[in-house]
Amino acid sequence: MKIFYQTFGRAKKRFSSFLSRFFKKKRTRIGIYGPPNAGKTTLANRIARDWTGDAVGPVSEIPHETRRARRKDDIIISGANGATVTIDIVDTPGVTTRIDYHEFLEFGLDKDEAIIRAREATEGVAEAMHWLREDIDGVIYMLDSTLDPFMQVNIMMVGIIESRKLPVIIVANKIDLPEAAPARIRSAFPQHPVVPVSGLQGKNVEELYEMMIERFG
Amino acid sequence: MPHKCTKCGREYKDGSTEILRGCESCGGKKFLYVKEAELHKDVLEEKSIEEIAEETKEPVLEVKAHPKKEVEMYDRVETIRIVGPGTYELNIEKMAKGDERIISVGKEGVYHIDLMSMAKGPKKGKKKKK
Repeated sequence: MKIFYQTFGRAKKRFSSFLSRFFKKKRTRIGIYGPPNAGKTTLANRIARDWTGDAVGPVSEIPHETRRARRKDDIIISGANGATVTIDIVDTPGVTTRIDYHEFLEFGLDKDEAIIRAREATEGVAEAMHWLREDIDGVIYMLDSTLDPFMQVNIMMVGIIESRKLPVIIVANKIDLPEAAPARIRSAFPQHPVVPVSGLQGKNVEELYEMMIERFG
Repeated sequence: MPHKCTKCGREYKDGSTEILRGCESCGGKKFLYVKEAELHKDVLEEKSIEEIAEETKEPVLEVKAHPKKEVEMYDRVETIRIVGPGTYELNIEKMAKGDERIISVGKEGVYHIDLMSMAKGPKKGKKKKK
């Protein structure tokens, strides 16, 4: 009996995905991009938990914790005046131009673990760029607002996102920290909306949700 | 009053009989009779390159040291450069353009080319209408 229900459930899923492909149901896939340790996975977890109750992935102070892209589908975000947007959230590995296993040694990993992590992180960057090219409809670009935004990787990434004509929201994260300077990020990217939040504490995420409805809806 | 070979400049003591056989260094048969003061004049005197060029009527040649140009990341052919085990430089702009993988190992000139990654062309009908 159980097997019957399982088979029926699977057939139903296959049929509905066939139908959606046939009628070209548009998926709004939003990728969270940014340098390592900016707080992408923390924000992805918050968005997923706020609207579905699930988490997306583990977080750590060791950079490059997320080394594979993780997706959470069908998140419905509703705003103040009743407007909603349905999105898939893609949490991507941190993008950087240089990965060195030595930086992981400082966090207590031994040499072999560090080298494996560096290799996986490199694969992760390639995967993040692949997603950006193939299957992303909009970008949330995360920045640690305690750091200088004029890093080579940020200039390059925002340039790549602009050249693909993707709608982008820049998030100035970590406003809970005393050294946070979201205004610096606003002046660095005047052409895009910048939303200051604390993904960790949830400060001002409502403004981000409203901006997501406006930009990605 | 010493003798000086006109070809190679080797000096011989005054009255030495060896020069009768020719210069020991270069075999030249012509010798100059020089004064003591003038003996080392050609070596000690400082001449600029232009003066020497005028005297010998030879062209002034420049030795060009090839300056090492640092290749811009945009021009680099590789997507990933392996600087050492566990240390990588990533060309994210090239990664953004396509899936092809060209990995360079070490300092310069050694590349691994992943042909399978180059096999797939752009997906048909992938144009986004805005």
